[in-house]
Amino acid sequence: MSAPAAIPLGTLLAPRFLATRNAFRRRPLRAWALAFLTGAFWVGSFLLFAQTLRFFQTITALGPVLTQRLLVMLFVSFFAILVISNVVTALTTYYLSPDVRFLLVAPVTRRRIHVARFIETLGASSWMVLLFGFPVFLAYGTVFHAGPLYYGAVIATLIPFLTIPAALGVMLTTVLVLAFPARRMRDVLVVASVALVAGGYLALRLARPERLASPGELAGFAAFLAAFEAPASPYLPTTWAANVLLPFLGAETAAPLFHFALLASTAAVLAIGCTAFVERVFLTAWSRAQEGREGPGRERRLGHWLGRIASPLPHTTALLFVKDATIFFRDASQWSQLLLLLALVVVYVYNFSALPIDDGSPLAGTLREIVAFANLGLAAFVTASVAVRFVFPAISLEGRSWWALRTAPIPLTSIWWGKFWLGFLPLAVLGELLIVVTGRLLGVAPGLTAVFMATLLLVVAAIVSLGLAFGAAYPRVDTQNAAQIATGFGGLIYMVTCLGLITAVIALEAWPVSRIFWSRFASQPINGGETAAIAISFGAVTALTMTAWALGRRSALKSLKHLRV
Amino acid sequence: MIQCIALRKQYGELVAVHDLDLEIAPGEVFGFLGPNGAGKTTTIRMMVGLLEPSGGQVLLGGHDLATKPEDAKALLGYVPDQPFLYDKLTAKEFLRFIGGLYRVDREDIADRSVDLLEEFGLVDRAEELIETFSHGMKQRLALAAALIHRPRILILDEPMVGMDPQGALALRQLLSGLAASGVTIFLSTHSLGVAEELCDRIGILDHGRMVAQGTLAELRLRASEFPELSGSEDSLESVFLSLTGTEDRRA
Repeated sequence: MSAPAAIPLGTLLAPRFLATRNAFRRRPLRAWALAFLTGAFWVGSFLLFAQTLRFFQTITALGPVLTQRLLVMLFVSFFAILVISNVVTALTTYYLSPDVRFLLVAPVTRRRIHVARFIETLGASSWMVLLFGFPVFLAYGTVFHAGPLYYGAVIATLIPFLTIPAALGVMLTTVLVLAFPARRMRDVLVVASVALVAGGYLALRLARPERLASPGELAGFAAFLAAFEAPASPYLPTTWAANVLLPFLGAETAAPLFHFALLASTAAVLAIGCTAFVERVFLTAWSRAQEGREGPGRERRLGHWLGRIASPLPHTTALLFVKDATIFFRDASQWSQLLLLLALVVVYVYNFSALPIDDGSPLAGTLREIVAFANLGLAAFVTASVAVRFVFPAISLEGRSWWALRTAPIPLTSIWWGKFWLGFLPLAVLGELLIVVTGRLLGVAPGLTAVFMATLLLVVAAIVSLGLAFGAAYPRVDTQNAAQIATGFGGLIYMVTCLGLITAVIALEAWPVSRIFWSRFASQPINGGETAAIAISFGAVTALTMTAWALGRRSALKSLKHLRV
Repeated sequence: MIQCIALRKQYGELVAVHDLDLEIAPGEVFGFLGPNGAGKTTTIRMMVGLLEPSGGQVLLGGHDLATKPEDAKALLGYVPDQPFLYDKLTAKEFLRFIGGLYRVDREDIADRSVDLLEEFGLVDRAEELIETFSHGMKQRLALAAALIHRPRILILDEPMVGMDPQGALALRQLLSGLAASGVTIFLSTHSLGVAEELCDRIGILDHGRMVAQGTLAELRLRASEFPELSGSEDSLESVFLSLTGTEDRRA
């Protein structure tokens, strides 16, 4: 009897492709909006990058070195992100995704399953790098007037360059699954990735890139970049990739073909090795991942302590608080985001402490005024960024357990209030702290700080209400990862709405705040007419934020009423 | 105790439930049968407040679910067909949370949790996260949660699915006991044996319409109108097949 014909790869990859296509077909408006935003991002990144590269070209001695080092650094960054991303993605596509069992019971060879999953992992992990990389490579090509060969070389380089971390990631994941329980491992990976992002963000900021704006400081930074030797090791694929492209950009690096051969052969060897390894151990590793549920361990009794904290709250609010907070602290994908929040706050405060506002120059006075204006908007923006991570997913996280709340004898308004206070209280404390601390660093008068604090309280109320509204209108109950919920279309629209609201508030308050500021700074007393105008401005801010709050509340309740899970 | 008056659900042109009328007395066990896609789960979702009807009314203990939802729901215990619970809570924490939603006294929740977890064979797993439970265990926990506030009405959507034979037997005994103590039970099931054994009355839904309801004897009588389909058998299965039969017969 002859062996059955191999299942075409297209068949195995079809579900993912069809699901994506159907999602776009069902919501064409969303697809167009995403395409527009991607286009805008590309144009913005391209312009920024091209500007930077042109600036480097003006530095006679160091320009070419900087350009080359920057390309190597980009490849190093992409490579690091790709390895982490592939490890996390492979864990899901190979070992946690429920559809693997369909494939395992079907007459499909393990090699075929591996190849299909490998392509899926590579695609899911690499699209972000391609999204960021496209305008960067285009900027290089444009600034250095590269010919069509350069663009061909970019494509030819990226294929093996993306394959190497995918093969490494899949193998590493498989080894880890064989060694540790899959669920515990997922938690560790989630926390590690978030910590890496937060650490990278902190490092980037604390490296003070603003020094580039000062010619004196630039020399030091350029020397640092020029001395950035470690990643330029001749044994790293990142160096090979850069060396393939650099000759097309006018650099005098030799042997692009040799480096391409190194890159391609390494990718081929790793891909074949990965196939042989995974094919051999896949069933063992998959079985292990299924057995790898957490054993019968007793959970820490968080509820006891949380119950005490929540005791002053109304009954239903307290219940929801204890439940949500318990889940929050047990779910690594949720609490790990606190690390990002911490990095965000540190950078925010650091930015203000690093501002040159105390050097007595006329520029410092103007800067202080501008920053005083911007401070409220920035604090509100930080609050909105945190809200998109913590408030927006609140409804989705109820997920398929929504029936338990909906069939209980509690009105929807109670559920809404419970979620509102859970979002509002911590965000208000965070926002007010930012205003007070940065206000002190800037030397803002207590009266003005009080105005900012009152405004921010209103803005936070509106932001939280809108978060619940958009969260209920665009629920994502299919994902177990809280961080993913915020990255969808709903989260994007929510952020844009928040930005619009914050801009409107700043626009309404710009003149009154400026007037109050100058009345103190330049001793210009405020007259009766101005007092009335200031009152009208603040009244308009109150009306705007309260309208947003009320509309958000009404919309959330309407969506919750019709929420079908 | 449960009343549905001209209950209707429509999705655009498609009518999923056609003006359903139903009345179930206190302490009665009502079996809700029907082929797949007949509209059973849609009906149940409207009866428990998970889905807004397009028309009609649901009264639970005389309280209108639309105008007095809290009063109506306070009488109700519900177990869905897919018991999705909060994975990151322990069984005990979940029962405490649900008991709290129904305003059960804290001490009472603690005592009742122990009793219910014992009854459903989960007492040894009380402090473990629900994500480590099997489907059957989650089903049993959902049942325990539905009973934590001593409901007067219990609505169960396919409660035997995923249960082992011991669990299913224990559930049947439990439901009989609850009915004897005056709890009204509305049970959707595909198991005709369970319906035959437990239910005082049975309703058969097909294409969103109640094609028959009554005691088993009444249904047999009704089915005898179609001897070519029911044959000589007088089991519930033959009655069910007669009444939900083939497209040709319905036509």
